[in-house]
Amino acid sequence: MSGSHKGWRDSNWYVSITGFWKEYRKHKIGLVGLALILIFVGMAIFADGLITHDPTPQAKVAPTYLMPSWLSVFDPNGVITGDVLTDPNLEETPLIRANGTHGEFSGIHVPLSDTNNQSYVNLTWSHTAGTQLDFDIDPEGIKPDYGDFVYFEQNFTWPYNNRPSDVNMSVSFGTTLTGDFAPGGPVGNNLMFRVYVWLIDSSNEWTKVYESREATYVEAVQEKRISMNYLSLKSVFDGMIVVNGTQQDPSNDVRIVIGLAPYRWFDSDTFGYPWQNYTGTVTFKFTTLKMVAYGEYFGIMGSTNWGADAYSQLIYGSRISLIIGILATSLATAVGVIVGMVAGYFGGKVDEVLMRVVDFLLVIPGLPLMMVLAAFLGASIQNIIIVIAILGWTGTSRLIRSQVLAEKNKAYVESARAIGASDTYIMFRHILPNVTPILFANITLGVVGAILSEAGLSFLGLTDPEDPSWGRMLADARTGGAFSTGAWWVVLFPGLMITLLSLAFTFVGHTLDQVLNPRLRER
Amino acid sequence: MGLREYVIRRSIYMFLLIVAVVCFNFFLFRLPTFLFGASPVSLMLSDELRRNLTQDLLEQMYVNFGLVPNPDIFDWIYMFWRYIVSMFTGNFGVSFLTQRPVMDSIVERLPNTLLLMGTSSMVSILLGIWTGVKVAADPGSRKDVSAVTVALFIYALPVFWLGMMLLLIFGFMLPQWTEAMWGIRIGFPQFGTISYDVWEVARGNPLGALMVAGDVLHHLFLPMITLGVGGYGGYFLYMRNNLIDVMTEDYILTARAKGLDENQVLYKHGLKNAMLPMVTIIALNFGFLINGATLTETVFTWRGLGRFIFDSLLLMDYPVIQTIFMIIAITAILANFVADLLYGVLDPRIKYG
Repeated sequence: MSGSHKGWRDSNWYVSITGFWKEYRKHKIGLVGLALILIFVGMAIFADGLITHDPTPQAKVAPTYLMPSWLSVFDPNGVITGDVLTDPNLEETPLIRANGTHGEFSGIHVPLSDTNNQSYVNLTWSHTAGTQLDFDIDPEGIKPDYGDFVYFEQNFTWPYNNRPSDVNMSVSFGTTLTGDFAPGGPVGNNLMFRVYVWLIDSSNEWTKVYESREATYVEAVQEKRISMNYLSLKSVFDGMIVVNGTQQDPSNDVRIVIGLAPYRWFDSDTFGYPWQNYTGTVTFKFTTLKMVAYGEYFGIMGSTNWGADAYSQLIYGSRISLIIGILATSLATAVGVIVGMVAGYFGGKVDEVLMRVVDFLLVIPGLPLMMVLAAFLGASIQNIIIVIAILGWTGTSRLIRSQVLAEKNKAYVESARAIGASDTYIMFRHILPNVTPILFANITLGVVGAILSEAGLSFLGLTDPEDPSWGRMLADARTGGAFSTGAWWVVLFPGLMITLLSLAFTFVGHTLDQVLNPRLRER
Repeated sequence: MGLREYVIRRSIYMFLLIVAVVCFNFFLFRLPTFLFGASPVSLMLSDELRRNLTQDLLEQMYVNFGLVPNPDIFDWIYMFWRYIVSMFTGNFGVSFLTQRPVMDSIVERLPNTLLLMGTSSMVSILLGIWTGVKVAADPGSRKDVSAVTVALFIYALPVFWLGMMLLLIFGFMLPQWTEAMWGIRIGFPQFGTISYDVWEVARGNPLGALMVAGDVLHHLFLPMITLGVGGYGGYFLYMRNNLIDVMTEDYILTARAKGLDENQVLYKHGLKNAMLPMVTIIALNFGFLINGATLTETVFTWRGLGRFIFDSLLLMDYPVIQTIFMIIAITAILANFVADLLYGVLDPRIKYG
């Protein structure tokens, strides 16, 4: 570059940001890196909106090591783990119906409103002694004992051509009892009614999955867990499997029916029917109805060895990586700049002592020292940042020192000193802006080092086990037997994220180096 | 100032640095005792043992390990003095955990670490120099840009993750695939330095040494490739940038003007000069050879020093970590020294001062 030509590089970096950008955007990899960084920053900021499940590594939401659900396109019989019912909180009005002709049974749906923050369905049986009920016992014990009962129902369509490996359901209800049904009434009054949950497939085959057998019914809403056994899974789902192009059931729709029915109970003294002696009401308040079907696939990125959602952890991991990468590098750069400036500017004894400290830190083995400090200081994020920064500042300080040595004898420093500027003022207002361009590449490459160090430390288990970070996911994959089960998705994706993020910073750093430090470009 | 004076000055400085490292060592690993009063003896005691322990026995244990319960400042000074003396007389003590001399455990693992680090460094250095030269002949070309991008990618890659991926592909998927195809499992072992059954067979076999060597190489391959590829990016970029720098020098222009063919210019004039800083880097790198690669050794459960540091660190096995730490630091200091001297010997333009 000839001396007469004055480019943007000859003026201060901050007045020539447009010139810089003109130069920067010529480098394709620099732009790719910048775009990637923006994506990751966006991911970190909007992590709470992007996640689908709890990102804590130990939060179990599914069986362990389920494959990512998009892989099920290769598997026509695959079942994706997930909620089956679209309205678990009963916010929509369901179909409520009373069997029989008595008018003793009723049901009502109360939706969300300004005064009501929990929508629910009430099923009520208000009985007057002597009203005769239609006793019709089912020999298989599937349907209720009386033709008179009340129920509400929900529907779902089973989209897969296979039986789920397991189904977990839960129903929450609270009970209000009055009259003879209330506590303190006749002995055994709580055995006269029951809550049932049935699954009814499209060929109208009933499968009972739940029947309440409480010793005492309480008013507080309690969640009852329902597990389906092998036989009930078979009877509900097997009819929907297509064999040789035909399936047994007419369609893939299944009804879930939740009913309140009287129970066949005879008074032990009189062997009388229950309707003869009791007067009172039973009200069940149902607040939730959940159903999770388990298959071989789960979520966007599969599940981990803890059965946690890998995708949510991946998203959250960007926070830890970015925070530690950027903060540790800022800390290291700040220390490095101050030490380098002081050493270079004052020279002599100060320089000697500071550079010996730098030499000392350079011969100490880096990763082992980090391991020692991280293990001894504790596993919080601040400590990891400090540990990484302790070892990160030496390179910067050497770089800055050599630059300051070249700058401090220039005329502008001398003139500043001549008009009586203090050392601090000269250092930070005159010299620092002139050595800044060389820092930028150094900072971005420092971020790469910090991100990789954090990944390594958390891979060794030296960070907080509750924090979802990419290195931690890899550590879990190793200790959780991903190699012997072939769970490649818990290995591939976290590593890919680390690589992409540090690659983005490497690209930007490389480009900055080429733009701001033109030694290599001129040939 | 001549070479002689320079060497003397550097030697004194080196000695001071070693003293500093030794002192630092003492305090670093006793940090938990300083900060929280944690004691390695209490970490060693099981509940069972603690119940049956008399005060005399406990004190005896402390004495055996050269420790003092609830040390005051004079105890610390005494322990520090004993530590300094034993370090400089080569008495590295006995591991708290295994009750074996520390040096034995280290010597046991040293060959493994040197084998792994040596071969992988070879791979990355040779590959780096070779491709670096190829690419630097024509900077800015499509080949150059893609090679630099690949090198940056490798630079950004977490090496242990690369190891995990290789392990998954060649240690798990490949054997599974070959089993499905041909009914035999062909692939690389998932863990360890040597297979136990091979070791058992080899002991009674006249060709046992060959079998052991073959098995170790079989286990070595994946971690070696991992570390080799992991180190490649740095060497490549360094070589390329150096050579491109050198190729702008006047003597290259002279060589071209003389009518030498481009290969001769590149290898005879360019490479020879660009290798000088490379030699320094390689010498420095050899200082960190025994450092081991904790992460990669963890992934492949390679029985080397890197993993040993980590394991004994968590158990507060001071004698082991402080010895390894000191050996590593001293090797690094020596390598620094050798690199400096080597640079001057190879490049007569350098003046010591």
